[in-house]
Amino acid sequence: MSRRKIRQLVGVLCCAVSLSCMQTAARADVIGAEQFINTLDRQATLDRIDAVLARSDVQRELERYGVDSAEASERVAALNDQELMLLTDKLEELPAGGSLLAVVGVTFIVILILELVGVIDIFKKI
Amino acid sequence: MRVFVCACALIAGCAGKAPLPTLATVPELSEVPFFAQTDYQCGPAALATILNAAAVAVTPAELVDAVYVEGLKGSLQPELTAATRRYGLLPLPVAPDPESLFAEVADGRPALILQNLGVRKVPVWHYSVVVGFDAGTGDVILRSGTEKRRLEPLRRFLKSWELAGNWAFVAIDAGTIPATASADVYMRALVGAERQLSDSTLARAYAGALARWPDDPFVLFLAALREHTDGQLASAARLYREVLARDPDHAAAHNNLANVLFEQGCRTEALQQARAALDREPPDGEFHAAIADTLREIEESPPGPQDPALCPGG
Repeated sequence: MSRRKIRQLVGVLCCAVSLSCMQTAARADVIGAEQFINTLDRQATLDRIDAVLARSDVQRELERYGVDSAEASERVAALNDQELMLLTDKLEELPAGGSLLAVVGVTFIVILILELVGVIDIFKKI
Repeated sequence: MRVFVCACALIAGCAGKAPLPTLATVPELSEVPFFAQTDYQCGPAALATILNAAAVAVTPAELVDAVYVEGLKGSLQPELTAATRRYGLLPLPVAPDPESLFAEVADGRPALILQNLGVRKVPVWHYSVVVGFDAGTGDVILRSGTEKRRLEPLRRFLKSWELAGNWAFVAIDAGTIPATASADVYMRALVGAERQLSDSTLARAYAGALARWPDDPFVLFLAALREHTDGQLASAARLYREVLARDPDHAAAHNNLANVLFEQGCRTEALQQARAALDREPPDGEFHAAIADTLREIEESPPGPQDPALCPGG
């Protein structure tokens, strides 16, 4: 193969490589900014709910309904983003440190969690 | 549900009685223009106020079509922030506490806020703009409705703001990062505005963010993605590596670096990075499918000659 032919071939290869770059950059296997941020948010939400579920008073309440907290945590993780938002809209109103628990008691929050993970359905009528 | 709402108001009301240490140094931003609202259109008027303060010349009348909903006799919050982006500025949410709100004003930026001038059960929603605090009288200074310089006693003001969820935002030139901004809030706002901002503004914004938070993996990752989407593979690879130097378990960075390397023809290291990503992502993780795709694609490609200058990692 002559030098010139090699150069041509390299040129063609370079083009092919740069074309494939442009295509791959838009491919689904690159994790994009919005997907990345949504995942962070979801994880932060799950962590906050897990923190509530880890409280011993919440666990006692859950046990009264025959649900252990690890199971509740798994059920919460299975909620889709919209369902999670319903749950966190309510948790959102919890002041830092969870002092609201002292005001309204844990039962209400536990019932809310059970409702959202589908163990009970007392709110469906609303 | 009502129980939550009332209880919260009680607790937050107590918290509001704490002294506000930063208030004494809050100036009055007298240069902020005033646009009197007409009818129910406090949204367009308040928005025009902060856009003009950020050097974008626009009148409330011009904003009506973008933000006013006749049937509601009002404007929705997301439309105010969306319209801010349409005018080339970045709407930056203010943290929902009085200190953060007045810190913006102290730093020279008027803040657009939502107030509930009624009571919780019968709300009267109103947008206005905080432009200062009079330490002598204890009044908050607002551009509000038809009043150019409305004064509201601090407590009453904070109550009305709290009844509206402590919602506030400022409009900034995206390329100039305010001293008050946190990496997380700023970067999220930037990503959300990317489609509306010009390339030169975005370039300034990302360069500014990297200069301000050079060690933040979140900033580095988003900056890497920006270069990546721009086809700047070499600098994208360098930034992904910087993320991994600080957070070796960052599965998304491993995955995206694998994609960059593959695009550069560095199949050997691309394969290593894709496997590293898969090792760090649980099977039920959100990124698992994307990572598996990356790995499969690289594995299925035939190994070829690699340019040692491009592929230092083998």
